[in-house]
Amino acid sequence: MKKLLMSAVASAMFAGGVNAADDMTLQLKWVTQAQFAGYYVALENGFYSDEDLNVTIKPGGPDIAPVQVLLGGGADVMVDWLPSALAAREQGAPIVNIAQPFASSGLMLTCLKEHNINSPADFPGHTLGTWFFGNEIPLFTWMGKLGYATDGSAGGVTIQKINFNVDPLLQKQVECATTMTYNEYWQVIDAGLSADDLVVFKYEDEGISTLEDGLYVDEAKLGDAGEVDKLVRFVRASMKGWKWAEENPDAAADIVLEYDETGAQTEKHQRRMMGEIAKLTAGSNGALDEAAYERTVGIVMDGGVIKAAPSGAWTHAITDAALN
Amino acid sequence: MKSLVPVLTVVAAIMALWYGGAVWMNSQWTLDQAARAGTEASLRAIVVDTMAQDRPILPAPHQVLSELYDTVIDKKITSKRSLVFHAWITLSATLLGFVFGTIAGIFLAVGIVHNRAMDMSVMPWAIASQTIPILAIAPMIIVVMNSVGIQGLVPKAFISAYLSFFPVVVGMVKGLRSPGAMQLDLMRTYHASRVATFWKLRLPASMPYLFTSLKVGIAASLVGAIVGELPTGAVRGLGARMLSGSYYGQTIQIWSALFMAAAVAAGLVAIVGIIQRITLRRMGLAQ
Amino acid sequence: MIWVIGALLFWTGAWWLNTWLAGSSLAGTRAVKLAVPVIFGVTILVVWEALVRGLQVPGVILPPPTVIGAKFAASLAILWEDFVQTFIKGALSGFIIGCAAAVGTAIAIDRSPFLQRGLLPVGNFIAALPIIGTAPILVMWFGFDWHSKAAVVVVMVFFPMLVNTVQGLASSEVMQRDLMKTYSASYWQTLFKLRLPAAMPFIFNGLKISTTLALIGAIVAEFFGSPIRGMGFRISTEVGRLGLDMVWAEITVAAIAGSAFYGAVALIEKGVTFWHPSQRN
Repeated sequence: MKKLLMSAVASAMFAGGVNAADDMTLQLKWVTQAQFAGYYVALENGFYSDEDLNVTIKPGGPDIAPVQVLLGGGADVMVDWLPSALAAREQGAPIVNIAQPFASSGLMLTCLKEHNINSPADFPGHTLGTWFFGNEIPLFTWMGKLGYATDGSAGGVTIQKINFNVDPLLQKQVECATTMTYNEYWQVIDAGLSADDLVVFKYEDEGISTLEDGLYVDEAKLGDAGEVDKLVRFVRASMKGWKWAEENPDAAADIVLEYDETGAQTEKHQRRMMGEIAKLTAGSNGALDEAAYERTVGIVMDGGVIKAAPSGAWTHAITDAALN
Repeated sequence: MKSLVPVLTVVAAIMALWYGGAVWMNSQWTLDQAARAGTEASLRAIVVDTMAQDRPILPAPHQVLSELYDTVIDKKITSKRSLVFHAWITLSATLLGFVFGTIAGIFLAVGIVHNRAMDMSVMPWAIASQTIPILAIAPMIIVVMNSVGIQGLVPKAFISAYLSFFPVVVGMVKGLRSPGAMQLDLMRTYHASRVATFWKLRLPASMPYLFTSLKVGIAASLVGAIVGELPTGAVRGLGARMLSGSYYGQTIQIWSALFMAAAVAAGLVAIVGIIQRITLRRMGLAQ
Repeated sequence: MIWVIGALLFWTGAWWLNTWLAGSSLAGTRAVKLAVPVIFGVTILVVWEALVRGLQVPGVILPPPTVIGAKFAASLAILWEDFVQTFIKGALSGFIIGCAAAVGTAIAIDRSPFLQRGLLPVGNFIAALPIIGTAPILVMWFGFDWHSKAAVVVVMVFFPMLVNTVQGLASSEVMQRDLMKTYSASYWQTLFKLRLPAAMPFIFNGLKISTTLALIGAIVAEFFGSPIRGMGFRISTEVGRLGLDMVWAEITVAAIAGSAFYGAVALIEKGVTFWHPSQRN
């Protein structure tokens, strides 16, 4: 009888404890990989539960538009890149940036050395492959700045839409291809090429880098004090996860592998990815850098993707409270 | 059985062409790598290398077979890396969607046959619905269903149903209208109501047409399930495997998932065929 | 809320109208035969518009038909360019190559039951390969331009066309073939004067199935790599930019093109197979 009473009291306490944790769903921009290590670390190491948050992480993929999931009510927060978020905002989607863990951009154009493209001046007459889904914006802006037409006419470049793998570059269907410093570039190396066989143009060095992985929510949430509090706790725990991941990259990569449902990721690839991601998150405490924001807006407007300068697209309110 | 020898002959011819094609298509990479290393590649070296590349343009048959063996037999069925596990994920959505699609198709067919307004209005739009590329609206369907709380298996099954209802509608309409004028007149002499005519004449007569459509429908349902996996994160299922293989440049993974999907489709069609033979034999409609 | 109620009322009213039209004495006329599906289609559009506005669905998830229509009218040049790239260069060329190859193969294996018994099951298996898997492989082999899209279409239409043609070649009656024998007709004469014309209903059945497969194949193939034009390209990139009105405008073009293609083939069928019972009304 006493045991029954004790277990009843204990389960009531537990039930009470579970009820106190708030549910949150995070929609990632891509598949489960070390690009999102901070969030998986925060989940696994209990940083979220320390803040009384019960977080579900939904992986993204090639056919998932995080904005749609967010506005459809499938997620509370999403990871997205600023250019596509601004484009969505202009289409009427009321999304706001609440945190920016990634300070630098990982996008770069990788070319095979044998095509003799050694500087941007060599681009005309060649075929460049780029991803779309928002990733094409800096490239089109860059071509516009250099004065190269993108439709394959004389004196310009031919642009092909490639998918998110490096085969077109390896099989020479395109002469240069967009790659991430932390992912596709290493797939090219893994395929058997060496760094000497490649020429890279980092978007950061060419002045066309845009702000990448950031956290975005529906504007409506920012008007609700309860929701704001949840977001503050979420951002605080997430940034804690990111800093832990920066300091323990191998362990963070292993945590990501645990959560990979497809069984397709490998330890070597993820550990290397985590090392590169740490370089991109270094220098950010989560707060959006205004100068970088303005630069991104300029690039997006030059690329013709948005027509008017956006207002209210970001806020420091959450990060100020989270990092107090 | 009498088809066995011809089938094996054709398969053997295809295998020979396949090996030849693999050497020819993969050799470009071998030559490129040799040029980068500053060496020459002999014919023998080319042939050996093209049979064992990591990212082949055309994987050799033994590479695909060994990957299939590795992921089907060498892994536990419950492991995330097992192709059987992923095949089951796709299969569950396929079967559920097939059931939805068949029921919807039969109801629509019954409506079309018995109601003139439906007959004149629905058929053209059913045809038009199949010209809409499902890959384009699948993400929208998933997002809309998620927003009303329907998650997981049901949205994928919905997409499967979308692709499989049409063959069933077309087949059932033809089948329900197949009884000849003499037979319909006979029912009229028995003073049979429309409902009785349906259950005792039209429905049994439509069985051969229904099963032919079911064979097409279940294959279409599998395609729908694979398409439906992509917007849900490409995390699990054969479609997810194909896509992650394409994404990571694991050509052999794509090919093994592809063959698994075709094998599943062939298996499902064969099962429907067996059910067809048993049912029709018992009904006396055996062909 | 008022939008939703309005939608339901419109649906009920249109349904009543259609039922009345279908049951009336005018039901056989061409005008009514056209009007009923058109009324049905208009109803769907009206209900869509009303539900989207009434339930306040965000435009980045599902735009209302009026917005789509406006975008369609404003983007005719782009839509035409995409149509030429995907339909004319990709789908149509693949359709012609695939169907011609299938008919040719059917005639080639016509004299060999051995090859028929071997090829058809294998072809069945190849036809079961899902396009999501074959499209990236074919894009890898044939490059980004319309050639790979045509290749995807060829793979998709070859087998249904082959099955239908083989069945068609077997459909001439024994009496008719005996008649040709009494005329001392050679194999080729029998083929061209009896068996191929008799096979036409089946061949056109296969052609009609292939029209929808061709368009879908070309569009899906573009998802896996393309130059920066084409219907599949536009759909996938506009989804990424959340320009859903453009996506639906392209889908509209696809639906119109697919239906028109099907209708054109059906019209040719009417002319060629005028003698077949199914052409009697």
